[in-house]
Amino acid sequence: MFWLNKEQKKWWDFMIAMTEREIKSRYKMAVFGFLWVFLNPLLQMLILGFIFQFFVAIKTVNYFEFLFSGLLVWNFFSYTVGKNTPMYINERTLIQKAKFPREAVVLSIVFSDLFHFLISLVLFLGWMLLVHGLGTWLRWLILPVVIIWLTALTSGLSLLFSSLDVKWRDINFGVQAIMPLWFYASPVVYTLDLLPKWMRNVINLNPMTGILETFRWAIFGMPLDWQAVIISLGGTLIIFGMGLLVFKKESPFFDDWI
Amino acid sequence: MRKKTKEIAIKMKGVVKNYRLCHEKATLVENILGKSKKEEFEALKGIDLEIKKGEKVGIIGANGSGKTTLLKIISGITAMNKGTIKTNGKLVSLIDLSAGFHPELTGEENIYVNALLVGMEKEEIKSKIKEIIEYADIGKFIDAPLYTYSSGMRLRLGFAVAIESDPDIIILDEEVSAGDEDFQRKSMKKIDEFVKKGKTMLVVSHWLDFLKKHCQRIIWLDEGKIVADGGMEILKKYKLHERVIKDEK
Repeated sequence: MFWLNKEQKKWWDFMIAMTEREIKSRYKMAVFGFLWVFLNPLLQMLILGFIFQFFVAIKTVNYFEFLFSGLLVWNFFSYTVGKNTPMYINERTLIQKAKFPREAVVLSIVFSDLFHFLISLVLFLGWMLLVHGLGTWLRWLILPVVIIWLTALTSGLSLLFSSLDVKWRDINFGVQAIMPLWFYASPVVYTLDLLPKWMRNVINLNPMTGILETFRWAIFGMPLDWQAVIISLGGTLIIFGMGLLVFKKESPFFDDWI
Repeated sequence: MRKKTKEIAIKMKGVVKNYRLCHEKATLVENILGKSKKEEFEALKGIDLEIKKGEKVGIIGANGSGKTTLLKIISGITAMNKGTIKTNGKLVSLIDLSAGFHPELTGEENIYVNALLVGMEKEEIKSKIKEIIEYADIGKFIDAPLYTYSSGMRLRLGFAVAIESDPDIIILDEEVSAGDEDFQRKSMKKIDEFVKKGKTMLVVSHWLDFLKKHCQRIIWLDEGKIVADGGMEILKKYKLHERVIKDEK
């Protein structure tokens, strides 16, 4: 990366090393190892799919594929934010050890989960190609944008919650309580057109809605609700900005509270 | 002019550090009624300090006098509330040597992360990793996960990474005198070498004999203030003072 200056290169080296540390350590003692990356959403898909296929009438696409794509995105988001929220407390020995870019603690989790997400995504896209042929492949070109968007939202919330959780440990309990609700407030197991208009407007306020919708627009060619996309983009920017701001203000003093 | 500023290793001016005192976590009801009071504790009350390159400084003081807080601010682990600080050169803390290791990762993987943590660069680590492994002397355990290590091995690994990172300023406490005799001898030898190279050292310790042997300047902290700053004669005063306090009790 020749366009980076020395400090930036060091920052990236550190970030990559911390991410590697996270990736390497996660499946160290697991027999299935990396397979869990794919196995997890697959099992979830089978369970949820088995139940919800009786309730949700979704047209045009295979419900299991529809569900799997949503779960990939949702799991990345919820797992990362959930894991990151108490991260500065869990990694207190690192904080007390040396001065280093504190954001690496949280962002390394984001990047390592992103790495796992990308593996699953590539496998899933391979499946789609194999079973359905080229189809909407041109729209796949938008996927990198969606991924950056999703990563920004996840990073922003991770920074925000983890910074606040250092002082107010209630945040962690709150996140744990909210995530299951948030799951049903996001179009993971259902599509928006099944909802009445007023409820759709409420669900559209959720920044995850636009991401999930755009993701499925690209993969299945499902209709896109522009309102959701614009609200979600705006929401992502606001959350990312807030996360950065709160982190910048709080991070020099993390050590005082842990 | 430029040379003069270069000779300074650490310069602090009017450094104040406050901690929020948490007696007992306020209950929710107390919080809502606004009954929980926020008590501030001033750990450092305006520290002015200048340490020149190559100085060996010992910091003494009773428990709770602000020694640890001072070192945390110098090493950048926490931030101060008021004042300024400038440090010149790479600073490495040898306090809590075995902290920051990941129990599931191997020794070698841990060396890599820990070395980046103390500020080494990627290429530097690659060129030094052999020396670090050799110095830590953990044999075939190097590719075993860290939770299989004894506490002595962790200590050696932490020390090896810190000292091989070639710092300009080191901060240490009596922990370097932990571990077995062999390690003690080895670590002392390294520290002596380090001192001979004319580098800066800050020692915080209750072990006055160690300070006597390795330092030329003593700073005495009491209740967040520097009460004495000078040569080795302060050690004697401090000993006397401690004895008086003990007698009073």
